[in-house]
Amino acid sequence: MKKEIGSFVVGDSTKCTGCKACELACFTVHSRKENPVGKTVGTVTVPVTPRLYLTKFEGGCMPIQCKHCEDAPCLNACTKKAITRIDHQVIVDQEKCIGCKDCMQACPFGAIALLPVSKGGKVVAQVSGETRVYASKCDLCQGIEGGPACVRVCPHQALRLVDPEAEREEKNIRAAEALLLTKNWR
Amino acid sequence: MIVAIDQNLCTGCRECAEVCPAYAIVGEQGQPQTIDVSKCVMCGQCVQKCKSYVSILTHGKDAYEKVKKERKIPDCVQEPLFAAHAVCNIDKVKAAIADPEKFTIVQCAPAVRVAVAEEFGADLGSLTPGKLAAALRAVGFDRIYDTNFPADVTIMEEGTELVKRVTEGGKLPMFTSCCPAWVKFMENNYPEFKDNLSSAKSPQQIGGAIFKTYGAQLENLDGSRIYSVSVMPCTCKEFECERPEMKDSGYRDVDVAITTRDLAWLIKDKQVDWDALEETEFDQPLGVYTGAGTIFGVTGGVMEAAIRTGYELITGQPIPDVEVTAVRGTEGFRTSVLKVGDLDLKVGVVTGLKNVVPVLEAVKNGTLDLHFIEVMTCPEGCVSGGGQPKLLMDLDREEAFAARREATFVHDRELPVRKSHESPAIKKVYEEFLEEPGSHIAHHLLHTEYCIG
Repeated sequence: MKKEIGSFVVGDSTKCTGCKACELACFTVHSRKENPVGKTVGTVTVPVTPRLYLTKFEGGCMPIQCKHCEDAPCLNACTKKAITRIDHQVIVDQEKCIGCKDCMQACPFGAIALLPVSKGGKVVAQVSGETRVYASKCDLCQGIEGGPACVRVCPHQALRLVDPEAEREEKNIRAAEALLLTKNWR
Repeated sequence: MIVAIDQNLCTGCRECAEVCPAYAIVGEQGQPQTIDVSKCVMCGQCVQKCKSYVSILTHGKDAYEKVKKERKIPDCVQEPLFAAHAVCNIDKVKAAIADPEKFTIVQCAPAVRVAVAEEFGADLGSLTPGKLAAALRAVGFDRIYDTNFPADVTIMEEGTELVKRVTEGGKLPMFTSCCPAWVKFMENNYPEFKDNLSSAKSPQQIGGAIFKTYGAQLENLDGSRIYSVSVMPCTCKEFECERPEMKDSGYRDVDVAITTRDLAWLIKDKQVDWDALEETEFDQPLGVYTGAGTIFGVTGGVMEAAIRTGYELITGQPIPDVEVTAVRGTEGFRTSVLKVGDLDLKVGVVTGLKNVVPVLEAVKNGTLDLHFIEVMTCPEGCVSGGGQPKLLMDLDREEAFAARREATFVHDRELPVRKSHESPAIKKVYEEFLEEPGSHIAHHLLHTEYCIG
């Protein structure tokens, strides 16, 4: 069946220890696109700007990231048309973003943060001299080999890439099989 | 404080506690952790593991510069800083280089030359001894000596000691003593084994003791004018050089130890363009080394180097195959029996300090009978040391360790001399200064005792 709705990554607070390996990996793979970031920490010359956010709460901790909503409040709120849907994913165009924070306000999950723009190993300045910022959010590692880096690096498999439609079908099958078993008892 | 955890940055994930071989990290899950200094062996594996970085979002815009300043890290550094960290002594090194009264001698451990280039964007495990020597010169050190030279001396001393213990009857099994975290662990937890450790100092300390004596003579300088710096893949080497007894040259044998990561910072701070560096040689004669010296950087390397020389000491014949592949590998504990003339030499190699506990228990209860055991604290020996370039993603660990290991063996194969006792520099230092392995002067300068602090 043709995929109609988008995937997303979700964390599991029962497994997460709060180590931030996901945040660092997220930053690493994304910043490599426009900065000379190698495999070791010493190659980094710009601030760490993740696209998912380790969140501590009374019951534990887990990373929070974009759900790639089908009726995305951030996308609808963006007056600069900097947020679009590409291959089912909600994607921010860093060049068009002016840092107005409308998307931040609109997002019910807090999955967007305003963070510095870096290019060529340097933080990018605005005309005013202030650091340029953009709406940093999960793009499901679009175009990055191996898929979402956060899922790959988590030492406790506390992050999972969800294909909601496939999971729903799988649940349907399990339900059907369970119902078949109950029929024998009737 | 050599290794510490910043309470303001720690998320309490306790991933570091998982890798700590000394169970020295204490705290509740989710709360900032502290290091129990009475247990810590300063191996720095927690520093390698920690991903809890200074974050703009969590800690604020100004936090980064504040942490950098607190840790005395050079201004030019812009890389992520983490909760678990090691002391940075670059300021001391810079002050010594700038002091016209001081003659600075630097030495680099074998594992540095297969990793430091990674910090400048090179492939994992890039082998760059020539660039390393050039960078040290550009940074301003007066003499570029090398830890691989004293590693060869270690083999002369430790090899002779092993042969003596095996043939004349001495405390066995003999354990290697080059890894300061292992030595500290033994002193903390198994002091009953103190006489099993080789009395030979580590290459760093042997280098330190020789540089301020024989090295000073070569320069026509008083040893007091020499400032000795070592660059190590290890966070514990600073602890080792600070040990009160390490002053047999008449001065502090090694004044300061910095890590591979620190060296990369120093090179950046001095605005040396790594990519543009023209390869140069280490200085003669105390920077000349063999393949045996360079394989100290990998697990099994000290064992292999010792056997290359020990075989000849026992049999009088050169070893048939210089590559002792039986002791190579990356498993936590491996043993083999080597035919050395009429002797079956039974050896063991431990890598990863947690793996030493069952070995020590087995030796204690008499179920393990070996002549010689090498122990290294870090996962695959010094190439994976706590002071080595830190990986942004742990997914790359295996590749990094394998590449650094392979580069070490490549370097060994390419060197003209591969056995310590065949090195012209070794022959010269014994002829002119040390007399013979285990001589009175060698014993005074190059050997030590344990559990005396």
